[in-house]
Amino acid sequence: MSENPFAEESKPTVAWLWQVATGIGLVVLLGLHMIANHFIAKGGLRDYAAVVAYLRNPTILVLEILFLVCVTTHALLGVRAIFLDFGLSDRVEQILTRVLKWIGVLTVGYGLVVMWFVIR
Amino acid sequence: MWAYALNRITGIGLVVYLYLHLGVLSMLIRGQSAWDAFVALARSPFYLTLDVLLLAGILIHGLNGIRLALTGFGFSVGIQKSLFIILMIIGAIFLGIAALKIFQV
Repeated sequence: MSENPFAEESKPTVAWLWQVATGIGLVVLLGLHMIANHFIAKGGLRDYAAVVAYLRNPTILVLEILFLVCVTTHALLGVRAIFLDFGLSDRVEQILTRVLKWIGVLTVGYGLVVMWFVIR
Repeated sequence: MWAYALNRITGIGLVVYLYLHLGVLSMLIRGQSAWDAFVALARSPFYLTLDVLLLAGILIHGLNGIRLALTGFGFSVGIQKSLFIILMIIGAIFLGIAALKIFQV
């Protein structure tokens, strides 16, 4: 019978599955973001007027918000995994997870504020 | 082991880039003149070279991440070294095409 390396602890399993899920999401969302903003856009970047027009499209706005949430979650779960490699105590791990969650919330909040300023 | 280290290194680089990118986007709040001045600067060869470097990091991390996810679920464990090499060759080809596209702007 093959062993599941993630079966011993439930928390790393959930975190790892989120890492994979957001990673899969990023393959699509980052691909779309790069193509739309850096390959299709004239000159490789959108000027201000083009950014406003782009984000005022509701479908694009939803995709960019999903991208922001996915990339932030994936990045901070990755940071957490690197710290966990150093063998942290349960207490430190709990504090780290809480701090990273708040950094994630602030990051997504900041991104939403920027988008709001652009589309208002 | 090398593939694992490469994933960590590119991951750290991409996290740093993510926050730099979000910082740069604050120029959108400062208005059209601030953003358009940045766009003009970002079209210089130096910044375009950084774009290619960024894309290299994304491709290495993303393609290697696909391999890690597959092996984590028990797929292709026996061929993961070959899979890594194939994915990196695909990444290198894509990077070459993208670099040509980036410098055509």
